[in-house]
Amino acid sequence: MTAGIEALNVYCGVAQIPVRTLFEGRGLDTDRIGNLMMRNRSVGLPFEDPVSNAVNAAKPVVDLMDPADKSRIELLITSTESGLDYSKSVASYVHEYLGLPATCRVVEVKQACYAATAAVQMAVAYVASGISPGAKALVIATDVALVDERGQYAEPATGAGAAAVLIGEDPRVLTVDLGAFGNHSYETLDSARPTPTFDIADSDRSLFAYLDCLSNCFEDYRSRVEDVDFATTFDYLAMHTPFAGMVKAAHRKLMREFAGIPPARAEEDFTRRVLPSLAYPSVVGNLCSGSVYLALCSLIDHAELAELDGGARVGLYSYGSGCSSEFFSGLVDQRSAEALAPMRIGEHLEGRCELTFEEYAAVLPANLTCLVPEQDRTVDVTAYDDILGRARIDRDLLVNTGTKDYHRTYEWLNT
Amino acid sequence: MTMNEDDIFTTVKTNVLAVLPDLDPDQVTMHGTLTDLGANSVDRADVVTMTMEDLGLVIPISEFQEVHDIASLVALLKRHS
Repeated sequence: MTAGIEALNVYCGVAQIPVRTLFEGRGLDTDRIGNLMMRNRSVGLPFEDPVSNAVNAAKPVVDLMDPADKSRIELLITSTESGLDYSKSVASYVHEYLGLPATCRVVEVKQACYAATAAVQMAVAYVASGISPGAKALVIATDVALVDERGQYAEPATGAGAAAVLIGEDPRVLTVDLGAFGNHSYETLDSARPTPTFDIADSDRSLFAYLDCLSNCFEDYRSRVEDVDFATTFDYLAMHTPFAGMVKAAHRKLMREFAGIPPARAEEDFTRRVLPSLAYPSVVGNLCSGSVYLALCSLIDHAELAELDGGARVGLYSYGSGCSSEFFSGLVDQRSAEALAPMRIGEHLEGRCELTFEEYAAVLPANLTCLVPEQDRTVDVTAYDDILGRARIDRDLLVNTGTKDYHRTYEWLNT
Repeated sequence: MTMNEDDIFTTVKTNVLAVLPDLDPDQVTMHGTLTDLGANSVDRADVVTMTMEDLGLVIPISEFQEVHDIASLVALLKRHS
């Protein structure tokens, strides 16, 4: 039995701001930009919400499926730390706007930036179990950023958007190594979203928990899988990326602990095995629940997969505050690159409109109210025509137009 | 076995200098903070994990909440040694 990722796409908004512009606008110490290893952050606009981001990520995946395959999507799981309602899932709206079959389970999961990986693993197990041969599952990690100057150095690292992961028996993008995984979880308050309008974060505690969980997950993985050597088993690594510099620290730690290689000698290995996974995250920021899948897209689009005989093994690490985490693995090959190419992710990211600091600051207040429940609200999408006009978008996008009696309303924007 | 404070401080100092090689060793004292020495959050996590590794200690993350300077870091490590 094989199972894994059949198709994959990300949506990272239509606007971005250079990290340097943001540092200068906020008066942050620009010497610290190097540590972040980031060039841009994606910026959501007030008509974008967890539903529109999810649909805009998944639509190209669903559109490429033939009708018979689409009718076999039996499970839709949205993973988000940007929930819209205590009862109704984001997935219920996504199911509607993607036109998915009525014969489909619809559910939402939550565990900060980790939940999508729990959903992917449950979906892979469902497909691999053989209880419904030919079934497919669609997992969509989707979030919005609630960040402004209060976030200090976290603000430039915070991204927004979604990743859509189609799971099935023909894993063209990533063949998951069934049974090869390691987990580590415990309760901690390193970051959280206690209200719909702001995040709390203890950056030291969160980074420490991320690194601590990484070592423990890898230990658990190693205890389940024979003959694992951190330095040689994995051709590439793709990790949850709060900011690219964090992944560099994580790699350094694993090299020191599990390969006995001191930091000074880890650089070449980092460049070869990890850097391809950071190209997209370094121009998007932390995609939250979808972060590790953005890193995987980056890896597939930037690694030299054509030259590898028999494919390349990727080690993946997912971490979510609170906290829960997983190290798992899978195989990619030239077919992965061919399956991902039609999504044109590089072009999508290049096409985002660059915002000035003033434009950026002007959209933040409305973004902070995106998740606040309001009985009736109108979002004036035309107010952002100038930004939309400067972005290169070659497809229709779903936009949130407000709420009517608590029911969120959407339209397809013909760009 | 309980380690003495001086040995723990020496291990912390060695790792601070490994993470921040441009520092003058005399700048690293019990009374300073890692932030004041120029350590960013990744550097601080590196110092703490490398020191725990060197000392063979495993300490729950929640306990680091009370750590504000090098002296309180040394005290926490000593309690678990």
